[in-house]
Amino acid sequence: MLTLSNVKKSFDSREIIKGVSLQIERGESFGLLGPNGAGKSTLISMICGLIPYGAGEIRIDGKVVGKQLKEIKQIIGVVPQDIALYPSMSAMDNLLFWGKMYGLSGKAAKIRAQEVLEIVGLADRAKGRIETFSGGMKRRINIGAALMHRPQLLIMDEPTVGIDPQSRNHILETVKSLNEQGMTVIYTSHYMEEVEYLCKRIAIIDEGKLIASGTKKDLSNRLAGGTVLKLTVDSLHPLFIEELKTLNSVEKVIVKPGEEIDVHLHSKMEMVAEVILLASRSGIHIHNMQLQEANLETLFLQLTGRTLRE
Amino acid sequence: MKSLLIAVKDAKIHLKDRKAILMMILMPILLTAILGSALKGVMGGGSMPETVLGVYSPESNAMTENIIQTLEAEGLAITVERAGTEKQLMDWMEKKEVHVGLVLPEGWGVDTDRAVIIPIIGQESSSLIIQQMIETFAQMSQTIEHATKTVMTEAAVMSANGAEIDMATIQYELAESVEKVVNEQKIYVIEPAKEESVSSMQYYAAAMAAMFLLFNAMVGAKSFHQERKTETLSRLMMTPTSGHSILAGKFIGTFLFAWVQFLFFMGATHYLLQVDWGSSNLQVFFITFFYSFAVAGLSMIVAAFTTDEKMADVVGSMGVQVLALLGGSMLPLAVFPEALRKIAMLTPNSWALTSFTSIMTGTDWSALWLPAIVLFGVGILSIFISSFRLRAV
Repeated sequence: MLTLSNVKKSFDSREIIKGVSLQIERGESFGLLGPNGAGKSTLISMICGLIPYGAGEIRIDGKVVGKQLKEIKQIIGVVPQDIALYPSMSAMDNLLFWGKMYGLSGKAAKIRAQEVLEIVGLADRAKGRIETFSGGMKRRINIGAALMHRPQLLIMDEPTVGIDPQSRNHILETVKSLNEQGMTVIYTSHYMEEVEYLCKRIAIIDEGKLIASGTKKDLSNRLAGGTVLKLTVDSLHPLFIEELKTLNSVEKVIVKPGEEIDVHLHSKMEMVAEVILLASRSGIHIHNMQLQEANLETLFLQLTGRTLRE
Repeated sequence: MKSLLIAVKDAKIHLKDRKAILMMILMPILLTAILGSALKGVMGGGSMPETVLGVYSPESNAMTENIIQTLEAEGLAITVERAGTEKQLMDWMEKKEVHVGLVLPEGWGVDTDRAVIIPIIGQESSSLIIQQMIETFAQMSQTIEHATKTVMTEAAVMSANGAEIDMATIQYELAESVEKVVNEQKIYVIEPAKEESVSSMQYYAAAMAAMFLLFNAMVGAKSFHQERKTETLSRLMMTPTSGHSILAGKFIGTFLFAWVQFLFFMGATHYLLQVDWGSSNLQVFFITFFYSFAVAGLSMIVAAFTTDEKMADVVGSMGVQVLALLGGSMLPLAVFPEALRKIAMLTPNSWALTSFTSIMTGTDWSALWLPAIVLFGVGILSIFISSFRLRAV
């Protein structure tokens, strides 16, 4: 459905996108993770044809972005990060306007707008002006506007920023349902739990580079010492620390002030028992123990040294 | 087609904006009413302000009756009140029951210089007109008297020499020349200079229309920046719509709103303030078409050379005020010195204003082609310059 081949982009001789290659299959739900300023929105703008790419090639459904843009625009639906709607117009009027901009006739646009309002769960607020809506409702209409022309590929740029949990759940359920009906979805966010929930394959982008991509399992396997056992003990005996390091399951041991030890494991829970047994044998009393499991955040931290929300 | 969708959407958004309605539609009506009423007394021309003229004439003869009838003539808005005594006239003046006093002493008509005109403060323009009328009347009377005397003397001499005189022919020729003189007198007094011939209400209706339509240049530019800020412009560009169509849509949107604004304003001033927009609505719409075109073009220029809504607001407001001042929307062009009148010709609103006032007093289509071409040129030039810059943005 979408192929990016070594795509690059520079602004004022500074390279913003540094040779990104990706392939997204039809009907797939693909997550694009990265912190603010990583280049996600620039990449999306290039995919939509909003800004030209400097090098490489982007193809959507076999058509080259930049050359067959009009046909491509008819295939894709974009949910921008901002609420790109007209506040003084009603939800229905906004949907009708965007539908007509994609070439829907008056009657077809009306029927589709009604369907879309049902999809986003706002059929009872069709005549309400956007400016009177809550943040979550605005976001739902923002998504609805991108669905008016029944796109094959839905690109969502951080569609849940700053909304209440109820609206977020509604949006996530809507997107999941659309994907299950066969729509290809590209979902960008810096909320890893949303991406983990929605997407089968994920790419992590940072400073314009694709630093990892694959299924969640692929990415988890890339983690070395991703599961962390945090211990608070009564004394830091050097022998205990040395013996900890020799255990097969242990990747590394970090001693912290306040009698605290971070034991990085190769992700297997059963290894926790081995650590506790060793402590007992060494006469060390464990006051507190906390297991921090590996996730995309941990992977991102491991790959970049920064957290996703930095 | 998509341009039209964008245009109709923009016009609808403007019409839903209460602040814009207040500013763009109600404000000019209110200002026309205030300025038109306030400056009623100081604007001259055929629409001379309503004047009550107190006249004292101890002797009633053909001359005094004639001048009073002339002053009372239809179209001059003078009401003559006759005082029985000079003291009564002075009392009226003191109580401001009359605006101008006129004393026609005994023997007036033979020695016409002795008429006394006494204005009260604030009615100088009315007294000036009355003075001109009396002077003209006196000159004409003297001419007629002189001509009559000369002809009759000639006739008497010829008769005394035994020559044959056809008195009927002399009488006929005399009557004809007197009628001609009287008609000339009427034309001289009543026909004002064209620019001054509209009433203050008419002038300010045209002036406010020209000024407030100009505000669309700012409103249109702000709408463009607003679309950019809220990302609706990006979203528009993600639809299968060309950049040219989007720009055309924004242009037509401003053009459409200017039309709606003008039609509403014209209707309101006509029905609420009794403003006469002239006998040809078609001519008014013709000029409005080209003026709206120019204003929509200027909105693209403001959008192209400003970076955000705030800047467009500042630049637009300042620009409109300067153009309004130079173009005669605040002070009548008639009071401008010659140099400023020439500068005014550089402003699109002055072309619209002078065209509107010309239409109000009756003008030929041929006189409207030049303003139309100038306004069209402003629009085209603005589109040309801005489209390069906006497409780059």
